[in-house]
Amino acid sequence: MIEFLLRRTGTAVVTVVLASIAVFLGVRALPGDPAVVLAGEDPTPEAVAAIRHQFGLDKPLPIQYLDYVGQALHGNLGFSTQDKAPVTTILSERLPVTLELTFLAILVGVLVGIAAGVASAVRRGTAVDYAANGFGLFGLSIPHFWLGLVGIVIFSVHWHVLPSSGFVGLADDPLGNLERMVMPALVLGLGMAAVVMRQTRSSLLSQLGADYVRTARAKGLRRPRQVGHALRNSLTTVTTVIGLHLAALISGAVIVEQIFVIPGFGKLIVDGVSSRNYPVIQGAVLVAVVGYVVINLLVDVAYAYLDPRQRTAGGAE
Amino acid sequence: MRLRVVMLCAVLALPSCATPGSSGVSADESSNTLVVSTPTEPDSLDPTFADTFAARLVFTSLCEKLYDVDNSLRLVPQLAAALPSTSKDGKTVTIRLRKGVRFNDGTPFDAAAVKTTLDRDRTAKESARASELEAVSRVEVVDPATVRLRLKHPSAPLAAQLADRAGLIASPTALKRLGENFTTAPVCVGPFRYRSRVSGNELSLVRSPYYYDRNKVRLSGITYKFIANSSVATANLQSGDVDAAEHLDPSDAVNLESERGFRVLRSKTIAYQSLSVNVRPDAGTALSRSADLRRALEMSINRRALNAAVWNGQEVPDCGPLPVQSPMRTEPSCTPFDPAGARALIKRSGVKPPIKVELMASTGAATQREAQAVQAMANDVGFDVSVRPLDLVSALVLARSGKFDAFLVGWSGRVDPDGDTNGLVTTGGPNNFAGLSDPKIDDLVAQAAATDDTKERARLYAQVDRRVSAHRALFYLYHNTWFLGTSRRLHGVDYRPDGIPRFSTAYLSR
Repeated sequence: MIEFLLRRTGTAVVTVVLASIAVFLGVRALPGDPAVVLAGEDPTPEAVAAIRHQFGLDKPLPIQYLDYVGQALHGNLGFSTQDKAPVTTILSERLPVTLELTFLAILVGVLVGIAAGVASAVRRGTAVDYAANGFGLFGLSIPHFWLGLVGIVIFSVHWHVLPSSGFVGLADDPLGNLERMVMPALVLGLGMAAVVMRQTRSSLLSQLGADYVRTARAKGLRRPRQVGHALRNSLTTVTTVIGLHLAALISGAVIVEQIFVIPGFGKLIVDGVSSRNYPVIQGAVLVAVVGYVVINLLVDVAYAYLDPRQRTAGGAE
Repeated sequence: MRLRVVMLCAVLALPSCATPGSSGVSADESSNTLVVSTPTEPDSLDPTFADTFAARLVFTSLCEKLYDVDNSLRLVPQLAAALPSTSKDGKTVTIRLRKGVRFNDGTPFDAAAVKTTLDRDRTAKESARASELEAVSRVEVVDPATVRLRLKHPSAPLAAQLADRAGLIASPTALKRLGENFTTAPVCVGPFRYRSRVSGNELSLVRSPYYYDRNKVRLSGITYKFIANSSVATANLQSGDVDAAEHLDPSDAVNLESERGFRVLRSKTIAYQSLSVNVRPDAGTALSRSADLRRALEMSINRRALNAAVWNGQEVPDCGPLPVQSPMRTEPSCTPFDPAGARALIKRSGVKPPIKVELMASTGAATQREAQAVQAMANDVGFDVSVRPLDLVSALVLARSGKFDAFLVGWSGRVDPDGDTNGLVTTGGPNNFAGLSDPKIDDLVAQAAATDDTKERARLYAQVDRRVSAHRALFYLYHNTWFLGTSRRLHGVDYRPDGIPRFSTAYLSR
């Protein structure tokens, strides 16, 4: 197990180093010299040179990279070129916002998706099934942007029951926070709910037709208990789908945060790219990469713990 | 009354306990706090380094200038007590200042403070103001209420620069305390003072107790909310979450105007839209080689139809850079829309149609619609225009390096015509995207900047206009109309031709 852990951790470290190089080079491959951007509409060569020097952009790329890594290892991801705030501070403010949004969207996706999937499977061929399938199709095909705008028009403009935008911290105003997060979470979670619904339906139908359910039925087990047993076995596949859908949720959050003016991680990256805010883009993407790598590492370790066969070389692929 | 969503917060281990977006204002303050949406976020809030339109917008509430402009684009004193007086040789400018004015940290505003800011503007390494104050060689404090600027050469545009960002004066005490971090807690003279900023979300200001005209300020604060999309901003206005939405798309503005409870204020601005054609000798395109083809391209564009199709007829079609309000404007001679003439010119050029042109345009929805309209018009006479959408930063980089055929690009405009010509049509200018290089134009622009005589300047700018037009490298299309959507509760907004709404005397009725 120790050898497995060392091997996996080593792979994770190499992945992060390679990713950091890719991020560093990728940001610099964007068209547009940030020094020129920062120098404004009427840039003088002196101002551009000074800005280049200030941000170390006049050094050779390898030196810039080593400076960046050296500072990052000390917890310093640099300062935003926009408002001079430390990138670590900005990330520590923004990341929890997106995590909350994603968490609530998963909640919506799982609760609505599983409920609709179960109803659809249990009432197969009825109006409930058709309605659930219609919902699934709707959820998969509706873009976040359109749905968000329609949501604002209905719930904020016409009914005045939910705010149309903005964010307050959960600690400052828990109800205000949830009030502002309900609509974005519904919009973001709807796509996931559709996927989960379809997966739950097909998986549950398959389980309901399995021998053990037929046996249970023959022994006189009541229908809800049969569905309960079958559902538990269906959830393995559903859980995998939820895991796979996480990345889609994070990218969906970029759009949803723009529509509902939520100061989250996705909006930070989009704003950073449009203003060529190198330190912010680098810091944000690096944190995202490290997050993914760490989660994958934990998943691998969990698999290895549960299934010793995974500990052999290549076993966890 | 909003539905309070009752959920078991305590059992939800939600990770977000951070406070971005929390304004922390009381209910009374909140009800009298104006919320304005703006599509872009300010960069720095340091007068020396700020360089975005959004920063100019915020500065009108936070940071006053030595001068301002009125609705006729005339300079009016703001922190100065009178218009500047210039010596006969044009190389000494004396500015008298208001007395009894305090910065929003309570420290006095005086000539020494003006000198501190202007010297910083001129000498700071990354200063965005250095080129604007290029003519100034020395700033002298004559007495606490008088500043004298010694110039290297006469500069007619200097006064207008002092009515823009170069005229913003920062508190020397705050500058000393914060240095390069002044932007994190800017202190100036203004009706409102800085409270907080949540990057990417909002910026809050609160009424200043030190402002010299504080009795006229009725709002308890202003919150600028950054909402990039016009439709989303409109929906926020309709829902009551914002009180004013700045820079709405014309289609949203027209729709909003038909609704009860809202009004739309228009500003016929000094900003303009243009189409630059790359005429650098190494451009290597048919357009760059043939003035006839460029003329044909311009003749294919129907400015009025473009305005009607893309902008709901809300813009002001025009063929020159100076706005109608400018006292130095001479009516430009327009190349008429003439598709038959354009086809004849193409035939005469000897280049076999269709003539390929790549039209670069930024990715905004309206700009893309506009590029497609130009594409359709040009293709109709024998061009084969392909639209290349790019984010503005990337497009500017390509344009400045001459890697494009044609570029649809706007300019926010300047009060003084020098700001609409110098650097835009002069050789090597940073915003001379077309790559024009005409010593006569350079000379005319320099002459116009060196004289205070308005009539003479108008004559010189008319000549600049004619020469630029003769090169057929830069087609002015229209001056922009900008829209401020507001709730009918909001009164007292002053929306001027520079496109910046002033809220210092605004108030919200119940």
